[in-house]
Amino acid sequence: MLSFLLAALLPGLYWDQDAATADAVKQAGVEQLFVAPDQVAAWKSAGFEAQAFDSSRRVKLPVPGVQYRMDVASATRIPWIDANGWRFARHSDRPYYYDVPRGKAMLAAAEAYAYGADAVVHPDPQDLELFGRMLGFLRRIDQPPLPAMANIGIIDDSSAQTGEVLNLLARRNLLFRVIPAPDPKFDLNVKIGDQDYPRSEAANPAAFSMTIRQKLTDEKRLVRLFGSDVVLARLTGDGTRLRLHLINYSDRKVEGLRIRVRGEYPHGRLAAFDVKNAELADYAAADGVTEFTIPEMNVYAVIDLNK
Amino acid sequence: MERRKFLQAAAAAPVALAAELHSDVPRYRVVSRFQPSAHPGIPGLYPATVARVHAEKSIEAQSEKIDTPVVREMISRGMRSLTGDADARDSWARFFLPADIVGIKVNCSGAPNIMSAPEVVGEIVRNLGVVGVKPEQIWIYERFQNQVDTVHYDRYVPAGVHIWTAERSRGAILSYDPKTYVDVNFFGEDDTRSNLIRLISENFTKIINVPNMKDHGAAGVTGCLKNIAYGSFSNVARSHSGFKSNTYSFIGTLATVEPLRSRTVLQIMDGLRGVWHGGPFSPTRKFRFFPKQMMFGTDPVAIDRLLIDVIDGKRKAENATSVWDRSMAHIKPGNGYDDNPSIDRLVREPGHIEYASKLGLGEYDIRKIQVRNIEL
Repeated sequence: MLSFLLAALLPGLYWDQDAATADAVKQAGVEQLFVAPDQVAAWKSAGFEAQAFDSSRRVKLPVPGVQYRMDVASATRIPWIDANGWRFARHSDRPYYYDVPRGKAMLAAAEAYAYGADAVVHPDPQDLELFGRMLGFLRRIDQPPLPAMANIGIIDDSSAQTGEVLNLLARRNLLFRVIPAPDPKFDLNVKIGDQDYPRSEAANPAAFSMTIRQKLTDEKRLVRLFGSDVVLARLTGDGTRLRLHLINYSDRKVEGLRIRVRGEYPHGRLAAFDVKNAELADYAAADGVTEFTIPEMNVYAVIDLNK
Repeated sequence: MERRKFLQAAAAAPVALAAELHSDVPRYRVVSRFQPSAHPGIPGLYPATVARVHAEKSIEAQSEKIDTPVVREMISRGMRSLTGDADARDSWARFFLPADIVGIKVNCSGAPNIMSAPEVVGEIVRNLGVVGVKPEQIWIYERFQNQVDTVHYDRYVPAGVHIWTAERSRGAILSYDPKTYVDVNFFGEDDTRSNLIRLISENFTKIINVPNMKDHGAAGVTGCLKNIAYGSFSNVARSHSGFKSNTYSFIGTLATVEPLRSRTVLQIMDGLRGVWHGGPFSPTRKFRFFPKQMMFGTDPVAIDRLLIDVIDGKRKAENATSVWDRSMAHIKPGNGYDDNPSIDRLVREPGHIEYASKLGLGEYDIRKIQVRNIEL
C-alpha cells in the first residue's frame, strides 16, 4: 500500500506508440503508462500497467523552459521563465498533462514531481530513455510529501490578474500559498484589491511582485538562491526537516548555486539528477540561517535538511 | 557583538560616510571574515605618489609591436622611481618575499586588441622571480576564460606560472568565496550578492594590479580601481541598467573589501595602448591610441585621477563628448555607441574615483599627488 502511495506522486508517461515498442519502454524502466484507448489491451498483454489516456480530463500545461529575449530591454536582465508551479499551487487538485517537444520531458517530469502534481507527460519518443532515467531518480528520492512552506499567503480571487501575480512571485522565488482568508502564520498576507495592494498596482505584475518582495524583505525569505536566475525553488517541511526542490529551467547545467534557507539546519543531504557523488559544499548553519552550495546541477536537485 | 556582525558593521561605516557625497548611493552590506591589515596595500606604501614612464619606442603604433627591452627598462625605472632605490631588485623586494603567493590581476576585457600586454606581464613575472618568488607561486588571473584564451600569456612566462580564470563558463560561481561578498540590490535583481574570487581570500598573500588605460561607457574610465574591483568579484554587470550605472559607488565599495584591499600592494598601469572610446572593449581600431606610457604606484586613486586626464584629453582632441558629460542628449540605445564617440549608452560615472578617495583608498586631489615623470 505504501509503495502505491509513493508511486502515485510520480509523473505518468503518455506513450502514443504501439506495443511493438514495449522493449524500449521496459528498458527505460517504465512499468506503468498511459496509452491510446485502443492500445490498452495490447500494452497490458505486453506486461504493463496501462491506462487509457484522455486529454479532455486533464488540463494541458505550457511547455516549461526559458526564453532569452535579447531584444527586450529588462531592468533586471531576468530571462523569461515558463514555469507551471504557480498553476499547481493555485489548483493542486486538478489533473494535468504536458505535451512537450524533444529535450523537455525531464524538466516536465521534475516540475510535476516537485509540486506533487497529478501530471502525465507526453514526450518526444526520442526522450523516452531520459524520461525513464528521471523517473528512476524520482523513485529513489521519493518520500511521503511534506506540507508546502511559504512566506506569503495570497487570497485568490481566481482572476487572470492574480494568476499573473502568482506567476511572477513564483518566478522570483517568492514562496506563496493560495489561501482562502488571511492567516497570521504567514509573514505577509496579500489580497489584491485591498488598500495595501490595489488592483491598479497589480496591473503591472512584475512591479507588483517587487513591491511584495520589499514588504516581505529579503531577510525574512525562507529561501534565496544566488548564482542563477533560471532555477526555481519549492520548499516543503514540517518544522524539523525541510525538503527543497530546485528546478533548472534552462538547457544548460548550473555550475554552482548558493542557497540560503531561513532557520538553522545542521544536517543537509543533496541528490542531484545525473550528477555522481553530489554533495553540498561550504555548509554553514548559524545566526538563524543555513547556507550551502550545490556544486553542479542539471535539471533537478533535491536537498533534505534536518535539525 | 558577534565578530562577524562587527566586521560587517565596521565595513559599512566608511561607505555610509561616503554616501553623503551622492544622493542615490545604494545601501551596501559588506560581509567578510577578514580583518584589515595594519598597513593595507591600498593606498599602500606610497600614497599620493605616481611614477610615470613614457617611452616613445615602447610600441610601434602601426604594427602594435611592443619592444620588450624597452618595456623592461620602463618597469625598472618606474619601480626605482617609486621606491627611491638604486637597484630594481630592492624595489621589488619592498613588496614581495620569496614565500608570497602572488596574484597578478590582468585586464583582458578588450582582448585580443587591448589587454594587460603579455610583454608587461612577462616582465613582472621575471622581476618576481628575481626576488625569489617561484613560478608555481604566481597566478595570472582574470574572470573570463574566453577572453584570456586569446592572449596566450603562457608564451611569455616560465613554465609553472598559473594562468587562471574564475569563470570557464559565464556565470559559474564555484570559484568565488561564498563567505566574502557585497550584498546590494540595484534594480530589483534577485541575486544581490557579488562574491570575491576565492583564490584572493584563500590563497594569495599579495596582488599586483595591471590595468590598461581605457575609456569606459559606464564608469567613465577604467583603470586601477575598476580592474581590481569589478575584476575580482562575481555578478557585477548587474550594476548597469538602462542609462543608469552604479559604478559611482560600487567600484570603490568592492575595492574596500578585505582581504582584497590589504593584499593589493602594487599598481602597474599598462598604458602602452589605450582606448579612448567604446571601452572597456576595443572592437574597432579607430578608437585605440598609443599613450606609450606606464604608471607605477600603490595608490589606485592617484593613478586613476591621472588617467581621467589622459582619456578625457584624448576625447577632447578627437571632438568627442567629455567623460564628465551627463547630458541625456548623448544617451542613445542601440549600436550607435560602437561607432560614434559622441553617443553614450549610459551616464558615465568618472566620479567613482573621487568616491573611492572618500573611502580611504587614495588621494584624488591633483594638487596633492606627486607625479614623477620619466622620459625614456
